[in-house]
Amino acid sequence: MQNNMLAMILAGGRGSRLKDLTTRVAKPAVHYGGKYRIIDFPLSNCANSGIDVVGVLTQYESVLLNSYVAAGRRWGLDSRDSGVYVLPPREKADADLDVYRGTADAISQNIDFIDTYDPEYLLILSGDHIYKMDYSEMLNFHKQRNADATIAVIPVPIEEASRFGIMNADAEGMILEFEEKPEKPKSNLASMGIYIFNWKLLRKMLIEDMVNPDSSHDFGKDIIPTMLANDKRLFAYKFQGYWKDVGTIDSLWEANMDLLDEGNALNLRDGSWTIYTEDIGALPQYLGPNAEIDRAYITEACKIDGLVRNSVLFSGAEVATGAKVIDSVLMPNVKVEEGAVVTRALVASDVIVEAGTTVGSAKSTNITLVAADVKEEE
Amino acid sequence: MAKAFGIINSSANHINIEGMQKYRPIGAFPFTGKYRVIDFPLSNMSNSDIDRILVYVRENPRSLTEHIRTAGNYNINSKRGHIQVLFAESNSASDIYNTDISVFMENLSIIERLSFPYVVIAPNYMVFTQDFDALLQQHVESGADITLLYHRTNEAKERFLLSDYLKLNRQKGVEGIERNRGTAKERDIFMDTYVMSRQLFIDLVHKAVDYSSICNLCQIVAMSCRDLDIRGVAHRGYFAALTDFKSYFDANLELLDPAVQCQLFSPQWPIYTDTSDFCPTHYFAGASAKNSIIANGCVIRGNVENSIIGRGVVIDEGVTIKNSLIQAHAHIGKGIHLEYQVIDKWAEVLHVDEIIGSPDNPGYVKREDII
Repeated sequence: MQNNMLAMILAGGRGSRLKDLTTRVAKPAVHYGGKYRIIDFPLSNCANSGIDVVGVLTQYESVLLNSYVAAGRRWGLDSRDSGVYVLPPREKADADLDVYRGTADAISQNIDFIDTYDPEYLLILSGDHIYKMDYSEMLNFHKQRNADATIAVIPVPIEEASRFGIMNADAEGMILEFEEKPEKPKSNLASMGIYIFNWKLLRKMLIEDMVNPDSSHDFGKDIIPTMLANDKRLFAYKFQGYWKDVGTIDSLWEANMDLLDEGNALNLRDGSWTIYTEDIGALPQYLGPNAEIDRAYITEACKIDGLVRNSVLFSGAEVATGAKVIDSVLMPNVKVEEGAVVTRALVASDVIVEAGTTVGSAKSTNITLVAADVKEEE
Repeated sequence: MAKAFGIINSSANHINIEGMQKYRPIGAFPFTGKYRVIDFPLSNMSNSDIDRILVYVRENPRSLTEHIRTAGNYNINSKRGHIQVLFAESNSASDIYNTDISVFMENLSIIERLSFPYVVIAPNYMVFTQDFDALLQQHVESGADITLLYHRTNEAKERFLLSDYLKLNRQKGVEGIERNRGTAKERDIFMDTYVMSRQLFIDLVHKAVDYSSICNLCQIVAMSCRDLDIRGVAHRGYFAALTDFKSYFDANLELLDPAVQCQLFSPQWPIYTDTSDFCPTHYFAGASAKNSIIANGCVIRGNVENSIIGRGVVIDEGVTIKNSLIQAHAHIGKGIHLEYQVIDKWAEVLHVDEIIGSPDNPGYVKREDII
């Protein structure tokens, strides 16, 4: 291992506020940005940060996610010493098959996997977030502070701080207090769910946590407070840049729309920090003689002969002659047929918006989620 | 079922695409935005269950070997399959000695060790799809010594002027292979595609070497028409022979027609290429794009019409591009007007107002040039 750090991505969450988008796939597998899935971000960040071995902890609706991440070559994690390993819950000789009881338990149940690599540091990531981050810089910070654990934090507007786990730290970044969703937040530094631990210490704590009947086996609720109570050295690592936890349809839509902005901070075109994903092997996008394009983010296999304004189109989306797509997100293989109009909507994969129909409205407060075919009313 | 290994042959030395070929063999030419020409023969072989492939590269091997990288890109099993590049290794005094036969002779021991009873040979400068396995089974059933693939055209007076055609008898027996001089409308254009037994192939290589030091495969097969049972099989679907600058230009733009696209690209017959990991293409306010094929990773603020835009191209405000091929990573600066141009990779067109070519005489801006 290049930097003696192994990464574990927590990818078991359902993301139930994403409604129909996550009835069949876990949230990390949800599509984003035209050609990506959300989990491409932590996986690519690992690859770009020089992390060779990544375990992906899956649980909820994991069939697609398991096969997706198993192809480690997509992120270049396929050299002799590297790999992406899928780790769903399993039956063990001394224990029945048990689900992961919490974020910490998911790691505890895979101590044997981690031990085979004997890492000095363990990086815990969430599979749900969209951001670019160099974890090797965070590890340098962790080493310089001689920390037991380092938690990445991002400043959030103080009025929203009560939605997050908030860190109160001193000027050096040493964490004095951690409050999960505080009513009266004392700082605006929110935990990003990214942790670096010294593995030996964490290993010991996890073994104790596993048998603690009062624990909910969660990093935020149990492990971090216990460490603070035991006077361990915990540091907050401030992250500057684009970071989105797309919890709802509105925020997923918004995160896609961010890509249309001039100078958008995520900058997916930056060749020095490429976000890798699967190669669908499709033709480039084709724009027909009647296509009208105005502010759009469009990818391979799209076919457009209508109007696309202020919208993000995912692989294989089609907009037929005379159709209009405005302020919307079309997920993979959506077909908007002749003369149909889609406004302020997020259209789920494979949906057909039939000729002449209308969905969404420019005046709606919330984004319309279109998860089933739209047919002419009879 | 008979099994074959594949050879992807290089264009012979009478073919030269001005400008672009200085930098790479035709097999490495960009095609339809994201592909390279060699993706077509390689995908044809991969889709036909041919997973042991020799690629002959006559000149400038760098870009082609870089593109092919691993057989994995072409859906070929990384353990059972193998793509091997054959370079022109002898430093001959003159390019005329740099023939396919000389390279096959140098690598004959490799070919003799292969256990496949048949070989399928396809060119690196033609674009078409063909099920080579079906062709091979047809060859075996017919009992012919050699099967050649051809494409019937009624445009032979204007097109395929550097290609050969097959002289066929009524039974599709090949009586001769001759250069198309544009003297007749209808011709059966030879697609430089051969099926024969491995042993006959080895015999022909020896025979060619004994005959002349500059003999190539097509010539020795043409000379063998009387002694061997050589038959033609007709190809259907899209076919382009890239033999000069204009044929390359036309073949690309021809694919803007969705009906033509369907002939070459079908979900049942995928064309593989290497992945670029480029993000989607970003169109800003004021951009427009009509009747165009546009690859990923572009930033478009200007207007594009009837054109093919490669990966990562940047097109600034007020630009007008019509009937042009803009290759990967090129940059077209503010307000510039381009018509009938091929702008090669990494070129930057910044300091001119317009470059206008014509359908018969498309222009060319060299790789990495700044103008």
